[in-house]
Amino acid sequence: MSSHYTCDVLCIGGGGAAVTAAIKADSCGASVILVSKEPLGYGDTRMSMGMLAYPRIDKNDGTEAFLQDLLAGGENINDPKLAGIMAEKASEARTILEGFGHFYQRDASGKISVEITHRTGGHSLPRTIGCPPSNGVGIGNSLRAAAAKSGLKIFEETVAYKLLTDGKRATGAVCFDLVSGQVLVVTAKTIIIATGGAGWLYYPHTSCSAGATGDGYSLAYEAGAELTDMEQIQFAPFALTHPSSMIGLCISDPAIAGPAGVLKDGSGQIILENINTRTRAEVARVMATHLKKNEGSAYGGLLLDLSPNLKSDAGRKQWDRRNMLGQLSMVRAAYGERAYRWEEPWDVAPTAHYNMGGIKVNAEAESAVHGLYAAGQAMGGVFGANRLGAASLAEIFVFGEIAGAAAAGRARGMSMPGTPEADAAACQLAGLIGRRGSTPPLVLKRKLQKIMWEKAGISREESTLREALSEINAIRQESEDIRISSVKAYNREVIHAIELKHMLLCAELIIISSLTRRETRGAHLRLDYPERNDVDWRCNVIVKNKDGKPEIRTEAVDAIS
Amino acid sequence: MKTIEFEILRSRIEEEQEPVWRGYAVPGVDKTTILGALLYVQEHVDPSLAFRYGCRYKCCGLCAVEADGRPCLACHTYLRDGMRIAPLSNLPVVRDLVTDRSALFSKLRKYEIYFDGAADDNMHFRESETGARLRACTECLACMATCPEYGKGQDDFAGPFFFVKLAQLDLDPRDQGNRIQQAKKLGLEKCRDCAGGCRCLNGIDVFRTIRSMLK
Repeated sequence: MSSHYTCDVLCIGGGGAAVTAAIKADSCGASVILVSKEPLGYGDTRMSMGMLAYPRIDKNDGTEAFLQDLLAGGENINDPKLAGIMAEKASEARTILEGFGHFYQRDASGKISVEITHRTGGHSLPRTIGCPPSNGVGIGNSLRAAAAKSGLKIFEETVAYKLLTDGKRATGAVCFDLVSGQVLVVTAKTIIIATGGAGWLYYPHTSCSAGATGDGYSLAYEAGAELTDMEQIQFAPFALTHPSSMIGLCISDPAIAGPAGVLKDGSGQIILENINTRTRAEVARVMATHLKKNEGSAYGGLLLDLSPNLKSDAGRKQWDRRNMLGQLSMVRAAYGERAYRWEEPWDVAPTAHYNMGGIKVNAEAESAVHGLYAAGQAMGGVFGANRLGAASLAEIFVFGEIAGAAAAGRARGMSMPGTPEADAAACQLAGLIGRRGSTPPLVLKRKLQKIMWEKAGISREESTLREALSEINAIRQESEDIRISSVKAYNREVIHAIELKHMLLCAELIIISSLTRRETRGAHLRLDYPERNDVDWRCNVIVKNKDGKPEIRTEAVDAIS
Repeated sequence: MKTIEFEILRSRIEEEQEPVWRGYAVPGVDKTTILGALLYVQEHVDPSLAFRYGCRYKCCGLCAVEADGRPCLACHTYLRDGMRIAPLSNLPVVRDLVTDRSALFSKLRKYEIYFDGAADDNMHFRESETGARLRACTECLACMATCPEYGKGQDDFAGPFFFVKLAQLDLDPRDQGNRIQQAKKLGLEKCRDCAGGCRCLNGIDVFRTIRSMLK
């Protein structure tokens, strides 16, 4: 009924972190299986602008300055050890990526120099480089090519349903191959989770790829790993509000506002100026507060008016630059010519963009479960309560390599574990095909997404969070009675059912963590606790599975050693 | 309420069934994209409708389909009344609008179409504009769907997708491989007498790129 495979290292995920980790483990001599829900090299990495931030391009910039920016941006709840590693090793990210075949823009003399850097959100110095016109697409293509060059055994369009453990260590995973409809059981000595984030919990209000359903958080939590600061979800401020198929797509950072752009409410009153000097979190918080008071437009957004820029040379130059970078084409498609030329304001609303929280790991990227590692957006701690612009790309390559090397090292000399519980899980999974219940899983997903956006999204308070929690429990009940067609080839409904399971768990953990953090910090806006409270809450909110129930604790942030 | 009516070529609704055109209607709201319509059908009419998508705007190439016989990105094409939506031509169909993409990866490996070089900061150079542009290939496979030669299904012709990849490597000054020779082994010469016709949904001039390799 199911196909069985064994390997030293199983890597789950298909974006930059997963491919980097898998290739690293392979180069360390491990036999590696990579299981990717999307085609390989897709996910958020491919959708990114390809911008990469790292220190020391400018001689005035250093590891320490970068670290200070990371900590200040993260409002001081970053894991200082992980942030330190990130600051130290970020410059290696470009070398890794260019070794895969990608190429970053150079200056006129062919060098990476301060001349080609940009200053992106939250950085005190210009240290970000780009790779137009291919951007994230070019990175994705390089990842695919590098994986082809390696010895990895790869399963594309295959989703992980459940991790296997023997109570002490991670031993494998039960997966579903979408194209063939087969159940796969992979037994492994060590496992790396690099499945990206959970932005899709807020669909359509997300700029993330359709696969970002929090699979890794749910898999790791169920296997016994700790998750940290799950309430910290970055909402990028300026996303489209219509047409329906484009809701949530991210237009740009606050920097697009240029020197003179302003934000207005639905009635045309100015609510925010000097936008381009503010972080994503600051702008999104102001927007959330006004939207909560129903001061938005008919589309549920606010109006970003960039027309004042057209009165100055500096402002018009800004338009030219953005247009050249191709950043206005989406607005043109959605809102038309006048909006494209900045003559008409854009209807914008915040959109779920990035999970700062995630699987809690040590400096070797290992979780609380022996032999279970995490990298990229799936892991938490590096960015604390807010991520700086262009910082996540560096992170996936840096921690991808760390996780890959550590998982391969640990597997060496270990014996292949047994997986007695695999058959039961495989049976359970196979039983989804042709299930004759009443509700299609996609309908329940949509219900869940609506609840998350309305009650656990950009602004939160105790009463609505509690409502959300009980409504999610009701959906969980309904999910016992789902209806799935019996076709074998490309049965997307099975994937919806698996994703629903992961999403329900993630949603619950996000809400419990949000209820716990009774302050406003970074991306987490509590209307009932509107101030940051360093006395009580300069700590991490950590959740783990205790006998089938989430157990919450807080932990003081480590001092920088 | 105003609706837009269109058809989808459905395959293997039950196992082994011949492809059949089925009619659907979606609410005719402002600017409905094909992707928007497919998502509507999946959510409100038939949850078993199979199609791929990823990014919702022009990055991933996964949603490429044919509308009235022309390849397009479903996320970037507005639905029109009477439109007929089918999977890309020339590619094996898994189900409905989903084509089998697995050969894409396995052939990169088999034909050794990957970067052969090293990142080296002591080498100072800039990438040519053409080379940088070829990197932006979204791998939507519209070129394969519209290539007259590839449509013949012969094993000795890899197809324009792989030639574009090889052209990109050829333009990378760090790459050590002889990419023109490699392309010729994979059937590039067959493009010499072709009148063109392969389309790119992302602005790459595939025909010209291939011609430049044949000089």
